[in-house]
Amino acid sequence: MAGGGGQLKVERAKRGKASKRKKMKRIGFHLDMTPLVDITFLLLTFFMFATTLAAPQVMEMSIPPEIVKQVEVRESELMQIFIRDDNKLFYAKGSDDPQPIELKDLRALAERENLMPNVRNRLITSLKISDDATYDMVIKVLDELNLAEVKITEEIAKELDENGQPKKRERRFTIAPMLEEDIKKLAEL
Amino acid sequence: MAKVKKKRLGFVIDMTPLVDITFLLLTFFMFTAKFKTEAESEQKFVIKRPASTPVDTALMPDKDLAIIKIAIDSATGDTSYYYELINEADRQAVWQRLPNFTPELLSKHQLNVSKEALNDLVLSTRVVRPSTKFAIDADKNLRFKWIAEAMDILRKNRATMFNYVTDKKQ
Repeated sequence: MAGGGGQLKVERAKRGKASKRKKMKRIGFHLDMTPLVDITFLLLTFFMFATTLAAPQVMEMSIPPEIVKQVEVRESELMQIFIRDDNKLFYAKGSDDPQPIELKDLRALAERENLMPNVRNRLITSLKISDDATYDMVIKVLDELNLAEVKITEEIAKELDENGQPKKRERRFTIAPMLEEDIKKLAEL
Repeated sequence: MAKVKKKRLGFVIDMTPLVDITFLLLTFFMFTAKFKTEAESEQKFVIKRPASTPVDTALMPDKDLAIIKIAIDSATGDTSYYYELINEADRQAVWQRLPNFTPELLSKHQLNVSKEALNDLVLSTRVVRPSTKFAIDADKNLRFKWIAEAMDILRKNRATMFNYVTDKKQ
C-alpha cells in the first residue's frame, strides 16, 4: 500500500504545475487512509485485548454483630443448614437430627420451609459451615438460598397486610459458628 | 493512455467503510476499557473466584472500597491475606497508621498481611472513613476457615455488611 501513497504524491505534484482547467474535473479527491487505518487497527487490537468484558460482581452479606446477650429463638422457627468438612449438605428443623440434602434440592427446600403457614415469613435460616468446607461450596449454597428468595418474596407479596399493602419479605438469615455438638452429630451421618 | 496504464502499479481500495467501522469499534472498546489498578499489577497471584448467578444490581462498588484478598501465591503455594483500598487518600491515611510504617510502604498499593495486621488495617479503615464498604475476594479452592477468620475480623470491627466478590455464572 505504501506504493499507492507514493504514486498519489507524484500525481498531485504534476497537477499543481498543470493548468487550472483540470481542477474542474476533480469533483472528489482521494485521501490516502493507509496510515490512519494502520494506527486505528493497532489501537483497536490493543483495546480489544486489554479489556475484560466479564467484570466481577458481588454478593451482599450481613453478619450479626458480636453477640453480647443470647437471643431466644423459638425452635419451630429455626432451620439450620450445615456444610460438613467433605462439602456434604445437611439440614435440620429446630433441634431435629440433621438430614442429608443435595445442593440441587436446596432451593426447593428453602422455598417450601419459608412458605409453611405456621412459620411464614418468620423462619430463621442459620447456616453452619465447617472450617474445612471449600469456599466454592459456601458460595454455591448462598447462591441457591438467594435464588429461593425470589419466589418467597413473590409469594409473600401476594398477601396483603392490614393497610391493604402487599406484605414485605423479612429475611432472617445468619451464618453461625459450628458447635462441637453439631460436628459430633454430623460425623455420625 | 498507455502511459497512464503503466503508472498504475498498485490499485486503490476505498477504505472509508473500513475506517468507519474500525473507528466505531475503537471508540467502543476505548470507552468500555477498564484498566488494572496499580494494586492488581503488583500482585503475584490469580484469584479463581467462585461463580454465582448474575444479578444486575450486584456490581462491584468502585468508590471507598476495601478489599480483603485471600489468595494462594502461584510461586510458593502459600495462602495469605492481602489488603487493598480503592480510595487513594484513605489508603495513605490508613497506611500511615500502621505500627511499622515506613515512607517506602506508601508506594505499595497492596499489602500482604498477617491476621493481626489485617485487624489493625480494618480498624484503621473504619476510623479513617466509617462508610467504607468491605469486600472479600477469595479463591474458590480455599478452606472456609480463611474466610471465617476474615469475617470474624470484620465482625469485631463492626463492619457487619460486606460483599463476597464472585464471577458471573456462565
